[in-house]
Formats: sequence, C-alpha cells, structure tokens
Amino acid sequence: MAKPLAASKKVMKNYLSELLTEELPELERKKIKIASKTDDIVEDNRLEALLQNVNAELDIAPHEVSTQKRIAHQDSIEEKAAQQSQGEVALSTQKSSGDFIAKIPKSYRQGDFQTLFFNVAGLTIAVPLIELGGIHKIDKTTSLMGKPDWFKGVMLYRDEKINVVDTALWVMPEKCDETLKNSLNYQYIIMLNDSRWGLMAENLVDTVVLQQDEVKWLDSTSKRPWLAGLVKNKMCALLDVDALIALLNEGSGINQFD
Amino acid sequence: MSDERRSTSGKKDANDEVLQWVTFKLEKETYGINVMQVQEVLRYSEIAPVPGAPLYVLGIINLRGNVVTVIDTRSRFGLDPCDVTDNTRVVVIESEKQVIGILVDSVAEVVYLKASEIDDAPNVGNDESAQFIQGVSNRDGELLILVDLDQLLSDDEWDELKQF
Repeated sequence: MAKPLAASKKVMKNYLSELLTEELPELERKKIKIASKTDDIVEDNRLEALLQNVNAELDIAPHEVSTQKRIAHQDSIEEKAAQQSQGEVALSTQKSSGDFIAKIPKSYRQGDFQTLFFNVAGLTIAVPLIELGGIHKIDKTTSLMGKPDWFKGVMLYRDEKINVVDTALWVMPEKCDETLKNSLNYQYIIMLNDSRWGLMAENLVDTVVLQQDEVKWLDSTSKRPWLAGLVKNKMCALLDVDALIALLNEGSGINQFD
Repeated sequence: MSDERRSTSGKKDANDEVLQWVTFKLEKETYGINVMQVQEVLRYSEIAPVPGAPLYVLGIINLRGNVVTVIDTRSRFGLDPCDVTDNTRVVVIESEKQVIGILVDSVAEVVYLKASEIDDAPNVGNDESAQFIQGVSNRDGELLILVDLDQLLSDDEWDELKQF
C-alpha cells in the first residue's frame, strides 16, 4: 500500500514541477513587447519634437508664440503617440484574442481569501471557499453508458442529482494507470459552486487563509483555464471553479487545449 | 440558483404528463423503457445465431411463427457479457416500425413517472451509446436511466435489421 502511494506522490511532484516551471505566458511576453514598442515611438517623437522646438526657437523671435506653438506641437505629438500606441494595442489584442481566453476577475483576487485543500492520488488541490458548493460523503453513483472515463456517474443526494467527476482521471488521465486507479479511496464529493458538478476527493486536508502573494496567479493562460494559480508553499493547484464548470458542461477533458 | 436547476423546476409548471416505464436491470443499473413500446416480456429461450449477422445481433427467436431478431443489449451499452440466469428475459419491443427483442438481466416492474420527475442526463461524451439516454429519474432513492429505444440503433442498422 505504501509503494503505490509513494510512487503517486513522486508522479505528483513531477507534475507540479512541470506546472511551476511553466514559461512566461505568451500574452505577458506580447504585452512587454507592445509596451517597449510604444515606449520607442514616444521616445522618437519626443526627440523629434525637441529638435523642432530648437529650430523654432532659432527662427521665431517672440517667446510667447514659440511657447504656445511648442505646447500645441507637444500636444499633437502626444496625441499622435497615444493614437499610435492605442492602434498597436488594439491590433495586438485583436490578433491575440483567438489564442487566449480572458478570465473574469474573481472576488478572491483582492485581499486574503480562504481555501479548502483536498487530496486526490497524492495530489493536493485547493479550491476557494467562496466557490465551494458543499461537501458530501460519497454514496452510490449510477454510471451512464457512453460517458467519458472521468465521468463517474450520477449520485443522488436528497432530491439533487450530482454529476460526479473522477478527479484523478480528469486532472491527470495520462498518469492514471491501473495501479493508481486501484489505490484510489474516494470518500467525499467537493461540489463546484452552485452547479451539479462534484469532484471526488480522498481526504480533506485543511482550510487555509491565503494572501495574494502566496499564489502564483495564472491569469492569461488558455492552455489550463481550470487553473487559477499555484499555491507556492503547498506546491498545489488552485482551481478556477467557474472555468472548470464550463469545461465539464462541455464534456471537455483536461487535455482539450493541448 | 444555476440555469440547469431553474430549467428543471420550470418543467413542473408546464405539461406534467404521467408516463409508464418498464424497468429492467443490466449489471447494477436500472433502466426504463416506455411501456407503449413494449409488446411482451419472454423468458429466455434458445436464441439461434445468424451467420454473418452484425455483432450487436445475438440471433433470432421464433415468436408464435414470427421471427424476432434479438439485440445484445449489454454490448450495445458497453457492458461486459454475462451468463444467462433464471432472471434473464427477452423484452419484445416495437421501435422504428420494427419488432425486435432486447436481452436483459432481469425485468423489475412498471413505474409511473411525471414529466417533471425526469431530468436530462449530463450532456458529456461523444460515444454513440450516450445518445440512448433519454433522461434520468430519482425513483425511491435509486437512479432510473430512461432509454430512448429509437436511438438504440442507427438508421443504417435499423435498415439492416429489416433483412432478417
């Protein structure tokens, strides 16, 4: 029993290392590129303006006129630069909109927020408490034919029908061999917000108040929309619950964007 | 409250007709088929295999002089085959203007369900068999899977069956 657990923990460590060593997101790189381009344009225009001002001062005697002109000229240059930079941004945004899904700002992205940590196959997953729909003890699930492997089935809870997700199979299908599947001991269902979707969990670890800087936020990735960020000290994934619900509603697996 | 929950409660106000469903078991799950499509339920009798028949056809039986093709429901639902027991039944149904038999582990009962008691199954999975599910219903704490018999076979397969 100890061996598969140790093995799965090792697998998880590698998995999370991969996530944490992720390259700088392309959007951020684009933003930096755009910013430097804009700076260059503004810089060039300022230089041009200064040169023109020097000429103007030499040619025109009255200082008042020259100052007024200078101000007017400076204004038009700034406007021009702003227009140019706006054009650049608009162009880039249009270009990048096809590749990236913008995430809706979350209420927990300001100040401290509480999270629940739970375990699945040695992997710790965090979910913001504000987006937690409830926790149920696992009961009989009725499997439906023709559904993906990660769709465990439907569980009845009072009058509600809960769509149960085999979390390990959804989060890391490529790591789920028979040994790992057999070692899973699911006990709880973590409900996602007010949806009908619930994630299977082996253990509930803790609830922790996190500060913004304790999380490496992943705001602009379309590759893993379900991932809000990574909790640095726990080396674990923080779920973007709404994005996850949307993916589950579509019947999409985790590798949809690969 | 989510949209899907709202849509479910919305059904209650609309046309809440009562339908009868014949329930049967396959492995651990209970399925329901519309009683209007069921002609009769037979004890298991020898099913004569048909050479060259598609995999989903178990064979044929003689029902009072008529030949009825029996479908392998387990394979159709993606389940492993199992041995025939005393409870095994052939449910003779009429669908797509054809009479066929479906082999099931056992037949349970006839239940009455209001339209409001039936929910859509989650719309995930592209597998062909996912289309068989018409809905799900909570029946005394057990989930009943309602099967759309017309979807059990594709148009080509129904046409193929006419040749038997």
